[in-house]
Amino acid sequence: MSDFSEEVTKPISEDDQVETSVLTGTGMYFPWLQKHLETVVTGGKKKKDFAQTTSACLNFIQEALLKHQWQQAAEYMHSYLQILEDSDSYKRQAAPEVIWRLGSEILFYHPKSNVETFSTFADRMKNIGVLNYLKISLQHALYLLHHGLLEDANRNLSQAETWRYGEKSSSQEILINLVQAYKGLLQYYTWSKKKTELSKLDEDDYAYSTATQNMLSESWKTSVNICALIKTPGVWDPFVKSYVEMLEFCGDQDEARKILTNYAYDEKFPSNPNAHIYLYNFLKREKAPRAKLLNVLKILYQIVPSHKLMLEFHMLLKKSEKEEHRKLGLEVLFGVLDFAGCTKNITAWKYLAKYLRQLLMENHLVWVQEEWNSRKNWWPTFHFSYFWAKSDWKEDTDLACEKAFVAGILLGKGCRYFRYILKQDHQVLRKKIKRMKKSVKKYSIVNPRV
Amino acid sequence: MDFPSSLCPSLFTAGPLGTSDAPDLSFMCSWRDALTLPESQSQDAKDAVLHLATNLLWEPVVPGPLPLLPPAPDPWDPGVTAQDILFRGGYHYRRQPQVVLDVTEQLSRFLWDHGDIAFAPLGKLMLENFKLEGARSRSKKMTVVSVKRLLQDLGGHQPWGCPWACISHRQRRFSILGGPVLSRSVSSLLGKLLHEELTLRWERLLLDEAFTGGALAWVPGRTARVGQVVYPAGGALDKLCFQEVSLTSGGNPRVLGDPGCIQLRGPVRQVVTCTVQGETLLAVRSDYHCAVWKVGKQEPPTPLQVLQVEKGATGISLSPHLPGELAICSRSGAVCLWTPEDGLQQVYKDSETLVFRDPSPWRWADFTAHPRVLTVGDRTGVKIVDTQGPPGCGLLLFRGGAEASCQKGERVLVTQYLGQANSGCLPPTLHLVCTQFSLYLMDERLPLVPVLKWDHGLPSPPLLTRLLPPPSPGCPQPLLLGGQGGQLQLLHLTGAGSSTPRLAGPPQSLPSRTSSLSAFPLLEPKSQGQLQERLKAPTIGLAATATHCASVPVLLVFQLSEAGDVFFQPFRLHQDPEPPGDPRLTCPPPTPSWTPQAITRCSRWLEALLEVPPAPAVWVAPTFSHRRLLGRMEPQKDEGRAPRGLRAAMAEERLLQRRDLGSPPRAEPPPAPESGPQDELTERLGAAWEGQGAAWWEKRQGRTSGPEGRARRPKRRTQLSNTFSSLTSGLDLPDASSPPHSPNQTSSEARPHPTGTPHSQELWPQGIPSERRQTLRSYMAKLPLPKDTPGHTPTAASQQHTPALTGSRPHRKKPRMGF
Repeated sequence: MSDFSEEVTKPISEDDQVETSVLTGTGMYFPWLQKHLETVVTGGKKKKDFAQTTSACLNFIQEALLKHQWQQAAEYMHSYLQILEDSDSYKRQAAPEVIWRLGSEILFYHPKSNVETFSTFADRMKNIGVLNYLKISLQHALYLLHHGLLEDANRNLSQAETWRYGEKSSSQEILINLVQAYKGLLQYYTWSKKKTELSKLDEDDYAYSTATQNMLSESWKTSVNICALIKTPGVWDPFVKSYVEMLEFCGDQDEARKILTNYAYDEKFPSNPNAHIYLYNFLKREKAPRAKLLNVLKILYQIVPSHKLMLEFHMLLKKSEKEEHRKLGLEVLFGVLDFAGCTKNITAWKYLAKYLRQLLMENHLVWVQEEWNSRKNWWPTFHFSYFWAKSDWKEDTDLACEKAFVAGILLGKGCRYFRYILKQDHQVLRKKIKRMKKSVKKYSIVNPRV
Repeated sequence: MDFPSSLCPSLFTAGPLGTSDAPDLSFMCSWRDALTLPESQSQDAKDAVLHLATNLLWEPVVPGPLPLLPPAPDPWDPGVTAQDILFRGGYHYRRQPQVVLDVTEQLSRFLWDHGDIAFAPLGKLMLENFKLEGARSRSKKMTVVSVKRLLQDLGGHQPWGCPWACISHRQRRFSILGGPVLSRSVSSLLGKLLHEELTLRWERLLLDEAFTGGALAWVPGRTARVGQVVYPAGGALDKLCFQEVSLTSGGNPRVLGDPGCIQLRGPVRQVVTCTVQGETLLAVRSDYHCAVWKVGKQEPPTPLQVLQVEKGATGISLSPHLPGELAICSRSGAVCLWTPEDGLQQVYKDSETLVFRDPSPWRWADFTAHPRVLTVGDRTGVKIVDTQGPPGCGLLLFRGGAEASCQKGERVLVTQYLGQANSGCLPPTLHLVCTQFSLYLMDERLPLVPVLKWDHGLPSPPLLTRLLPPPSPGCPQPLLLGGQGGQLQLLHLTGAGSSTPRLAGPPQSLPSRTSSLSAFPLLEPKSQGQLQERLKAPTIGLAATATHCASVPVLLVFQLSEAGDVFFQPFRLHQDPEPPGDPRLTCPPPTPSWTPQAITRCSRWLEALLEVPPAPAVWVAPTFSHRRLLGRMEPQKDEGRAPRGLRAAMAEERLLQRRDLGSPPRAEPPPAPESGPQDELTERLGAAWEGQGAAWWEKRQGRTSGPEGRARRPKRRTQLSNTFSSLTSGLDLPDASSPPHSPNQTSSEARPHPTGTPHSQELWPQGIPSERRQTLRSYMAKLPLPKDTPGHTPTAASQQHTPALTGSRPHRKKPRMGF
């Protein structure tokens, strides 16, 4: 099929006078084009019978997989292996990958399959069509890992690591890096197991120092393994996390910082919120100055204004002496509550209620108005509708009270949400609601005090 | 909101489509997502994951979808097919088939069938511009033709259909004289227009984007058991219908009363519904209009707004956050947001595509987790646009390129915001992007890097997607994916809080409408063809709802076809009787079979369908009255039964049937197919067909042991196939007792086999291993055998063959020859 696509997009020079060829000028590829063409008898080459049966068999396998008929699929797979003898060399070369993909899937789900069957299959497939050796080894190791066979997985990865075929291409290099990194991850698992054991030991014990020594050497090995991969652009969260943990344990804070900074700020890497979160957590552990923490969170705020760390960011900003920081603190809170997933975050509402009161007491009405202006045409329906008043009160009265206060401040005491909560006669909350009514009267931005 | 604490490792490369040299890390299949790194999970947690993965299945209650409503009274025509458009000639040897539009044939057919339309305007044109009329006095009687009369003739008297029917001498002479002039101008003028039209039709055949998103919706009612199906009806799909439906305890829908209808000015292309803060809204896209209604629980829907889109609307979506807000995109590249307070507001406009140049004017817009931020999509990518920010700027969420390891020629077909069914099961920041190859799950907090990629492999464009709320708390969310060709797939998505969104189990396919064919009674070939065509009509709408029946989650899937048929199918969540932790013992789910109610439903629907008058043909070949012929055929005394039967059938104007012709000729097997050289399977099938399979097998065994040149590859294969044979050989093959993949066979004992494909099971020679036989049988079942093989009335075939099946085949425990 793939070689066919080129034919379609290629301009046709011969017999243009009789027929007009359709160039799918869009450059778009249609996988179902072949099916349309097969309904029309063309003068072209017909598929050979062998090709017909194998492609029919492939369809059966795929169908069976999608119906979860693993049994059936295994039977068809049995027949499909004949494709390895296809006379079409292109197909023969592509076959091992297809067989591996389908076969591994069947063996993963088949009720009678077990680790041995899977391993036998994987080992054989590795040596058919050598180009897939690394990919298959990696997946095989992941399979073993998934089944808790860490040692087998490690052996597999070690074998793959030393494998070479022809000239080292860039894709091969990345795969080898990946293989090594997974190996590093396995070492991390044993290391962290030892670490938990170590925490049980007494520090003055003789065993303690040998164990520490052991661990240090282990982490050195790991660093060699993981280091190469995390320099390649990508998302490498599990590797970075474990690597940093080991570095920190060894006391190599500088290297850890370097790695995290690179992971977060290298422009070739995708903007990954976790990179900034890891860096922030590291700096926090390190007890870095507040300015540094703020800088990291400021960037996270740009990427994910809805993240739960934003509440921490708000607290940091609130404590700051700088005016602009305190203003940003309000912006951050409003920003969190803009998102659909955060509308019921009671902490955020509590913070906002508290901060609004504080800012209005300090005569920062302009700040509030500035934030409110871009939201006043949709927040009332988004947060403070009659529907939400009813359902919030039913689900969580505390949340309803906090929201009612904010509604009162922002929309005035005539607002439906505020009025609905006010009307509710709740014995425990009666005092609180009364207090709320008073402060709304005093601070609401709708009728600013002259 | 929480962000996944640790994302799956993935490589990130920037660049255009299909060029990256880097390995595609999504090469791993569906089970990749089941592989969680044993970071902090205990052993039990892993087992639970695995258990969930292998046993998650929505099993169909009946083998295929059933009609919900009677067929529409309007006739339906399937329209042009590839066969109508493409060049079928075969005079050149071609290495590869090519797509060639057959303009020549279309043109000649047009001139032939519609000569009046082709030439009459020409005649009129010539009349206006030429003074061809000579002086009357100078005309000679027979040698000169009056051009005026002739041209008038051309306009009025061109006979329809049969050009020879009553051609006048005058016309004949004129055609000889004017041929060179007329043919050139007509063909050049018409040819250009025709080619344009054909290209358009061909493009539409490859991808009909008009119904992107789907024109069917389920509007929930007061309880989970009641709701409305909203669908377009009428020949032009320009009547919006609201049909109230209640769900019975068995999970089947019951239609309540007649549907309410709203007549619109254009065909309905997309129907979207959303319930926000207890208010249900319904938005409809037509070609040049968009409208939004508020649907009450009791009262009829009230229109909120109708918007005109001059350049043509391509997509509409309703805000899941604010009631009544909707986003519309047009072919001009503009995206507008309509809010009840502020009215219409253009938020984005760019006639160019986002990532690279693509000629398609298709645009799409949807909402995000932030009510004032939209996604804008085209064939090349998806962008996040802040409606309150400066115009034109935004961040790319999805890029058709190496970032998502896109293939060459890959294009975005549809995108959807998955935060609609906000249930806490998935984060509200996910977006679905569908291309012709794969499905991508994007998190708006992590742009450009797909959180999940899965190759759907659908054989038709996937333009319909629906995310459903989880059937019960903690369960993965079902995501339906519908191809235009009727194929349906269901994915199970999970991943809330700090875990990464992933597939909770292997995706599954759901039966398409064509799989319901076996529920219909056997018909005469013409009606059978009509039924098949109707069931094969493209799917243009998909809707679903989930409820509980006797504490078992039930999923009800509705689909709408281009013919206006609404079908439904209930599914039950497969509940595993085995305790978790022992996935080894899971048995395959039982195969569903047709219930009597389902069969009655289908036959009633079919009766109504057959009463629908066929679509008026564009052109009818001239026919001759058979009555006249009947009169001429004098009945003869010693006439055989066949001519008598023929005469009787003609007199009654009905189809000639076998029983009219007396005793059928001796049933002989159809001739064996010609075997191609060097093809084992064909040879074997051929031998089997003639009953010589065993001999062939013996011969073959003798032969294959001889040559040793090809020994290496078969050895490899044997080694490999041992892996699979260990899985299959120990098992008692279910071929005698209904293979689970073809529900037809179970039903064939009870009732006639409607497709009538003779399986000829009794012909299997003893030599073919049983597992191989299963493959062959399935393969044979799919072969395009003639539907009405003489001598094999399907009823007879299936009745003869079923008993023969069990006896003749000994069980083989050990596979041989690497099978």
